[in-house]
Amino acid sequence: MTSEQALSRSQPADKTQGAEARERNASVWRSLDEWLGTKSFKALLEAEFPSIAPAADGINRRSLLQAMGASLALAGLTGCSSTADETALPYVEMPEGETQGIARFYATAVSLAGYAQPVFGKTYSGRPVKLEGNASHPASRGAIDAFTQAALLGLYDPSRSQAPRLVGEVSSWSAWERATVERASMLDRTGGEGFRLLTGRLTSPTLQRQISEMMARWPQARWHSHEPVDDRALHAATRLVFGRPLDRHLRLDRAEVIVSFDDDLLGPGPRQVRQAKGWSDRRMAAQRGEGASLLFVAEPTPSLTGIAAGDRLIAAPARFSVLVANLANALGVEAGSVSDLSEQERRWVQTAAERLQAYRGRALVSVGTHLSPEMQALALLINERLGNLGQTLAFTTPIAAFPPDGDRSLEALVEDMRGGRVSTLAILGTDPVATAPSDLSFAEALDRVELRIHAGLHVDATANRCHWHAPLQHELESWTDLRAVDGTVSIVQPLVKPFWSVRSIHTVLENLGGRLNGVGDQDVVRKTWLPDWGIAFDANWRSALLEGFVAGSAPRPEVPPVVNRAVNLGVAQGQGGGLTLLIQPDPTIFDGRFSKNAWLQELPKPITKICWGNAVLVSPALAAERQWTNGDGVRVSAGDASVEGAIWIVPGQARDTVVVHLGYGKQSGLAGKLGFDAYQLRRVDALCQIAGVTLEATGEKQTIVTTQPQHAMDGFDFVRKVQRAELAALEPLKTKQPSFYPAAEASSPSWGMSIDLDLCIGCNACVTACQSENNIPVVGKDLVAQGREMHWLRVDHYYEGDPDDPDMAFQPVPCMHCEQAPCEMGCPVNAAVHSYDGLNLQVYNRCIGTRTCSSYCPYKVRRFNWFDFTQGDAESVKAMRNPEVTVRQRGVMEKCTYCIQRIEGARIQAKKEGREIAEGEVVTACQAACPTTAITFGNVMDNQSAVSRRKAEARDYALLEEVNTRPRTTYLARILDDEAQRI
Amino acid sequence: MSEAVDHPGSQRRAEGSRVTRQIMRIPTRYPGKWVWDLCFLICLCFLVLFLVSVVILFRNGVGVWGNTIPVNWGLAISNYIFFVGIGHAGTLISAMLLLLNEHWRNALNRFAEAMTLVAVICAGLYPILHLGRFWRFYWMAPYPNTMDLWPQFKSPLTWDFFAVLTYLIVSFLFWYIGLVPDLATMRDRAKKRGGQVFYGVLALGWRGSARHWARWNQSYRITAAIAVPLVVSVHSEISLLFAAGPIPGWTSTVFPPYFVLGAAFSGFAVVSMIAVVLRFAFRLEEIVTDRHLDLLGQLLLACGMMTAFGYVAEIFDALYAGEKQDLQTLFDRFTGENAWSYWGAVILNFLPLQLLWWKRMRIFPVTLFLIGLSVTVGMWLERYMLLVTTLYRDYLVSSYGSYAPSFWEWSLFIGMIGGVFLLPFLLFIRFFPAISAFEIKESQFEDQGERQGD
Repeated sequence: MTSEQALSRSQPADKTQGAEARERNASVWRSLDEWLGTKSFKALLEAEFPSIAPAADGINRRSLLQAMGASLALAGLTGCSSTADETALPYVEMPEGETQGIARFYATAVSLAGYAQPVFGKTYSGRPVKLEGNASHPASRGAIDAFTQAALLGLYDPSRSQAPRLVGEVSSWSAWERATVERASMLDRTGGEGFRLLTGRLTSPTLQRQISEMMARWPQARWHSHEPVDDRALHAATRLVFGRPLDRHLRLDRAEVIVSFDDDLLGPGPRQVRQAKGWSDRRMAAQRGEGASLLFVAEPTPSLTGIAAGDRLIAAPARFSVLVANLANALGVEAGSVSDLSEQERRWVQTAAERLQAYRGRALVSVGTHLSPEMQALALLINERLGNLGQTLAFTTPIAAFPPDGDRSLEALVEDMRGGRVSTLAILGTDPVATAPSDLSFAEALDRVELRIHAGLHVDATANRCHWHAPLQHELESWTDLRAVDGTVSIVQPLVKPFWSVRSIHTVLENLGGRLNGVGDQDVVRKTWLPDWGIAFDANWRSALLEGFVAGSAPRPEVPPVVNRAVNLGVAQGQGGGLTLLIQPDPTIFDGRFSKNAWLQELPKPITKICWGNAVLVSPALAAERQWTNGDGVRVSAGDASVEGAIWIVPGQARDTVVVHLGYGKQSGLAGKLGFDAYQLRRVDALCQIAGVTLEATGEKQTIVTTQPQHAMDGFDFVRKVQRAELAALEPLKTKQPSFYPAAEASSPSWGMSIDLDLCIGCNACVTACQSENNIPVVGKDLVAQGREMHWLRVDHYYEGDPDDPDMAFQPVPCMHCEQAPCEMGCPVNAAVHSYDGLNLQVYNRCIGTRTCSSYCPYKVRRFNWFDFTQGDAESVKAMRNPEVTVRQRGVMEKCTYCIQRIEGARIQAKKEGREIAEGEVVTACQAACPTTAITFGNVMDNQSAVSRRKAEARDYALLEEVNTRPRTTYLARILDDEAQRI
Repeated sequence: MSEAVDHPGSQRRAEGSRVTRQIMRIPTRYPGKWVWDLCFLICLCFLVLFLVSVVILFRNGVGVWGNTIPVNWGLAISNYIFFVGIGHAGTLISAMLLLLNEHWRNALNRFAEAMTLVAVICAGLYPILHLGRFWRFYWMAPYPNTMDLWPQFKSPLTWDFFAVLTYLIVSFLFWYIGLVPDLATMRDRAKKRGGQVFYGVLALGWRGSARHWARWNQSYRITAAIAVPLVVSVHSEISLLFAAGPIPGWTSTVFPPYFVLGAAFSGFAVVSMIAVVLRFAFRLEEIVTDRHLDLLGQLLLACGMMTAFGYVAEIFDALYAGEKQDLQTLFDRFTGENAWSYWGAVILNFLPLQLLWWKRMRIFPVTLFLIGLSVTVGMWLERYMLLVTTLYRDYLVSSYGSYAPSFWEWSLFIGMIGGVFLLPFLLFIRFFPAISAFEIKESQFEDQGERQGD
């Protein structure tokens, strides 16, 4: 059922309730609590919201698009109404240098879990079409992750909330203002008694200023913060060791030896780009022979870090305390008595300890921030012992504002709500009803609050339970400021005027304080920085907007003195019985905040390659024991809570570990009900790990959609490996293949790509970059299930060897641009042709869709428009498209073009200036996004170009060399440190 | 003419007119009309199903089928090869045996040719239906255009286009030229004005003069001479659709002969089935004699054994080369998720066939029909197997997929068999002499002459 139908069905209810609401609304809005009691209100809520969600479990693309289109049409708005914000974008005035059709870039930032992710927003005529990394930003250095890029789709998402709502019914901003002013004046009288503010992780200095001003005005009011995936254990650990909560900052570029205890340093999250960048710097230095890059990982389930590791130990969650304690003892840090290790564990700990000793001051021991504070504290002490503090690890006071109740802010709030001490609750930009631990019963407590206000991008579960809902601006259309993970402030400027009648979080906060929409958002932000910058304000402001960040605004990482060395690990037995459940943020939709983002929904999860849903991940041994296969329905029970999901077997997972991902199973929104809601299992005392869970088969079979059904490499050499010790004397992996044909002539420039598998961490940033750059359509769950996903670039995941403890690797596969391309031979109409500069072109206009090219393609990188994937898009989604890239028609084949539009752009520029295309001038979208610089692109005829230098390395090889297609995309083999690590 | 029965010539004439009567009574005074009407009605329903499937396909796109990446081609292409394949028997029987002066062919050639024609039409439709942008199908043809664009002549699909088109034209010409003298007979025997005009126009003014016969003989034999190499070339070419792709399981030099023999094999199987059915339906035991069944059985057996050799050669190839990818494909065929198509093909094409070593089995219509049916299904499975088991798991493990034809693929196929293959064939046996009367008479005359000459 589409939302159109849903809306039309709920029309009658709206009318009666609406009339009633207007009547009441006009007179006494403060008697809203009466509404709660009435059956009609409850019926209204039920009628209105749950039915908006498509009823079908498997949302298909067509219904998604219909729904998107419908919601837009109902709003009576089109994406075309979006115009440039004059203050941010001088385009309206047609300034000097502005040309129609020429992209302009604006530096700004979007947030991920509260932290700024710096971006360059590429806009055409005021329409943002692509987000690129900000090369000069100290935290990201030009790289960008999948979440950040997909924020663009979040901006255009037609399912966003578009108008204020009062008890579920569309209201107006003037009614909102009346309501807030009246409530504010009441609060003024009582000093804010009973007023509470709940936000997500808060890094914005302006928001902090506004909140502290509000708290000063209303001393009885209180601010709380709730972030589903938080750092509370890390803060507890630093409090143990240093006496106060601190954020840690890892310098992975200096860490020649890293020992990670289930710490996904390279995994998805706000720190991924920064840490991956650092790690790849170190890795590249090691490739050049400058120092080592050794990574030891102990983890219960494969992570990106574990797959990148040279020595990966599979350890059950319960073993970590023993492992950490043993390592501590081995390095001379007192950790109390410990139980014995298995032979494998002993070897791993011993090797790790030896390497750590050998690289004192250039090493790092890290413990996952979800693990117990004691373990993390012990790791800090080990680092101190090794002299790593200040070298590879330093600290700052928490980058995000620390709420008065500390890390247990939400619990304190719920307690007060239950105690009836909260009369007004404003929830800004977070969805606690969906994401709070289930044993808090947040929704229940919320019902006891007299006036509940929610502001957010979507009408989510929390909005449904609040009286007021205020739609917020997306960060790409608002003025604000944010801090990145390193603390650097970015002034967020809008790339476009708001599409709908939505307000910024600052204005909403001003409104809550009783002030009307008088001051502009920009002024609110300026006001924050005026005192600091004083006379240099204009220059600083200008440079902050131009650069995308405020230089030098990051706090200096420091190493505080250790105040406590007595860390008690508790019972370091490490033999938990039964199954242990790990609850992790989802690799593609994170904590659920991206559940309405179709790019991220369709992005295959790095390791399982599942998309459009989550699964209960189990080990091969457990599945074999219980005779489960992929897709078997199971009920996961932890205490009183239970969820039903489908089994997915993950080779390399610890035997009795079960993993679930957060963010799915929500009722509202366009993405419908996909997967199950793992938040149901979360408890305040067990947010990430629950021991003693039970799994029982439900007998039903569920459809789990994956883009890669088979991961076992089966003895093939798709991903090749070399030993670092042999690197110096390595024979080139590439061999000269015989051919009857003369070598193809190549002109200069002639394009080629090199992908370094030693650097690739499989993070998917390239996939989303490609999707965004090349207008790649999303096809929905059903079509992905049929193998019809459209990604031009995919990241293959392979494992080799024993499924219980396999070697794993990633391999990004774009089009190979073969010099002897079988597709070109197969095409009957000359649609697949070779260009003089070495590109394997696909001429969409000429293609008639025989699909011979794809049948003949040994790499299967071609994608076919099985249906019309583009015409039905919502207008706003059409506005998002890159005007430089053709939108493909039904029935044509498409594939990676090496971003030909970028090549042509550079060619035109070079031609105008009468010169050759310079090295590094053409950067493909995937290359630009990659946080580890695994992808290099350039002129292969130029011996000095980066790509030629990489291709000249001995570990350069062609995928499926034996087919003799002579691909222009080649790979650099992974480098193993096995020999070096086994001393 | 009854007074002249003793005279050998008049006896021949009497016999000849009996043959003519026997054959011509089918279109003129159709025996068992209600059976035909029922069949026609059923086939019309299939035609509707076919048309609905086509409309659904054209409205929505190829996505309504089960095709995916990596199995880009599915039922459409395997059916295309299947239909071209069964078409081959018609040409082989008619043209090749005509040139070899094998008289026994005359009882079989007409309906075999008609079968060829409808099969090639079916085959020709599939590549167009399977196009992503079917409305641009003519881009496969070399036609003058302002952009000076030509088809890409290296592509096997371009050759396919020419091959099928040539084959269609040549088989039509051959069928039609062969039909002309009998159309004149029909014209002469037609009772109603409509029939007279219809057959009269089609008979092109045939009067049976010696000059007509001489011209006819020339053109018929020349067309036959053109058609014979086509039998080999068309299916060799179609095999290149697979063999030219650098995909394990396809790149094999054994494919052209393997495909041609397979085509003849499946064709003879279909011809056997039709012969048995027509013989039974119209009591044509005198014309389609036991000897014909025997010969068809022998041909079937010979082609079948050669096809079986093809299977062995394919396995040997893969094992001898020992390439990991080739072996992988071979084992996928033996044990993979589509192993049923491999074993189905091997069993249906090989085992029942062995009964044909006994003459009693060859001349027994029921066994011949059942074996023909088994081979037809088996050869269909073989085409399916060659396509799907190759594509669903090719080189990269990561792009392994699977394929199952969707409802609309099956409906199109079934609709096509009933509505595009059987329906015109029904019309053909209803309105045209399904067996060449004059050629039978000619061969009887010649045979007797030879006998008398002894």
